[in-house]
Amino acid sequence: MNHSGNVRIEGVVKQHGSFTALHGLDLDIRSGEFFALLGPSGSGKTTTLRILAGLESVNAGRVLLDGQDVTHKEPGERDVAMVFQSYALYPHMTVSENIAFPLRMGGTPAATIAGAVKDAADKVGIGHLLSRRPGQLSGGQQQRCALARAIVRQPRLFLLDEPLSNLDAKLRLETRAELRKLQRALRTTAVYVTHDQEEAMTVADRMAVFMEGRVVQVGTPREIFLRPANVTVAGFIGTPPMNLLAATLADGTVHLAGVGMPVSSAGAARGEVVLGVRPGDLCIAAEGIPAQVDFIEDFGDSTILNLLVGEQRVKVKAGQAPQVSEGQQVRLGFPPSAAHLFDRQSGLRLGN
Amino acid sequence: MNKSRIRSLALWLLAGLLLLVWAFPVLWALMTSFKSERDVLAYPPTFFFTPTLDNYRAVIFGASSILHNLWSSMVLSSWTTLLTMLFAVPAAYALARLHYPGKRSSGFYVLATQMLPPMGLIIPYYLVLQKIGGLDTYSGLTAIYLSFSLPFAIWLMVSYFEDIPYEMEEAALLDRAGRVRTLWYVILPQVRGGIAVTTIFVFLNAWNEFLFAVVLGGNHVRPVTVAMFNFISVEQTQWARLAAGAMLAMAPVILIGLAAQRHIVKGLTVGAVKGGGRR
Repeated sequence: MNHSGNVRIEGVVKQHGSFTALHGLDLDIRSGEFFALLGPSGSGKTTTLRILAGLESVNAGRVLLDGQDVTHKEPGERDVAMVFQSYALYPHMTVSENIAFPLRMGGTPAATIAGAVKDAADKVGIGHLLSRRPGQLSGGQQQRCALARAIVRQPRLFLLDEPLSNLDAKLRLETRAELRKLQRALRTTAVYVTHDQEEAMTVADRMAVFMEGRVVQVGTPREIFLRPANVTVAGFIGTPPMNLLAATLADGTVHLAGVGMPVSSAGAARGEVVLGVRPGDLCIAAEGIPAQVDFIEDFGDSTILNLLVGEQRVKVKAGQAPQVSEGQQVRLGFPPSAAHLFDRQSGLRLGN
Repeated sequence: MNKSRIRSLALWLLAGLLLLVWAFPVLWALMTSFKSERDVLAYPPTFFFTPTLDNYRAVIFGASSILHNLWSSMVLSSWTTLLTMLFAVPAAYALARLHYPGKRSSGFYVLATQMLPPMGLIIPYYLVLQKIGGLDTYSGLTAIYLSFSLPFAIWLMVSYFEDIPYEMEEAALLDRAGRVRTLWYVILPQVRGGIAVTTIFVFLNAWNEFLFAVVLGGNHVRPVTVAMFNFISVEQTQWARLAAGAMLAMAPVILIGLAAQRHIVKGLTVGAVKGGGRR
């Protein structure tokens, strides 16, 4: 089996005319890892994937696969397989011909192709659909067919471009889990592009957060969740994302809305800051930041309280039946260790 | 229920009426081709007459046989179609896929040749062919036909290629197919309908061409359209033979049309129905 499949991107710059899509990107992806490229649209994550695939040239920098420079290699010479957002199945071929195509093109003897196709199709649960054409499959089945076409040749690297975005919500959750299991079983490196932070969090071993053509943070989902490197990442990760409030910091205490709250991560920093607190870390307390309950979203097993602190909106994740009602004045508290502090000017994280 | 029945009846009637209007000249010619010259000129026209095969005998085996001309048409049209498709398919693919400065306007220039009235080109073409000894030769006339059919075919094929999503090609490249095999295994099978439609149009245009053939052809290269013209002379017009010849000239056209009907309809509705790869 392929034990390899590590990726190294060194100083890659990509320009589309006068627009710079990637500003000197550096990235290391370890072999066997499920690695997510996460970011809003236009942040450069898909461009990065396409550069890995060889579908896009670079203006500067190098791409290394298993230590070998592939920057100028054709897509077909890189031993990578890709699942496209639109699946890109060949409509004039049957499912079985679709899956067999990369093997046929790679010169695999016909005798072994049939078995490999059946094997791949069974792994993704479409073994009974081999004689259908893509047009006769449901969206989920088409997605699996695309997946089978990628795994059949046992490449050293999988590239997945928003593979779940065309599925409906329920199917997306199921497929997400199956994808994770499949990748674990195959132990092939997978690079996964998504704009859905929840998808990245649940599926990835590690991830890179892209913003405006730069990687702003790399780490495990947990690391990034616990210690977002700047305000933008903090506001992007989490469901719902972190509350971000303008405040001033002095002597280990943040001041906002006329009250001071102790924080433990401040260090010696002081001045204008952004205070970040996760919705789950906030609670209604006897004393703390004054707020007014604007409206309540009920999810059955939990509720999200939408409050106003002055004019700033704050979300609080509460239990099943919070003892508040809309319009009520409350106070919000949080443990000193739950506070994330960011420099107001640079947006960078302060302290630890 | 009742309403929809009346509706469909009205539609059928309308369709029948249109068909009749369209088919009338053809049916008239068909009938005429089985008449004797005397019956043809009978006034008022007779619908009941003794059918005769004399006209067909005359245009096939007789002194005014058009077999040679049918062959001429076949050679001209086949070469034109073959060469056109050979160049038009790769050219259209390139136009649809490659990015180069001036791409938009080059599409216009391709079509611009179609905008000139053919009449204006006939004299220059004549002079050029005369200089290079191309008058009344298959190669000469085929070259002239190519100058019209090629832009037309390219323009038609481009739209078929443009309907294929880029990702399909990229997937094939990643599947190790390379440029040429991607074109062969993935792209061309998806434009089969377009190729069929374009081939038929090019063939029919060449088959029906008259103006250039009459001026630039001669005794050696005389396609059937020109030969038909010979049935009309100063003294008299041999209507029945003309009709029989027309029937023979039309036969391949109609046969092709019937055989490829499915392809043509499918090809013309491309874009409305997308391939299975897309959602």
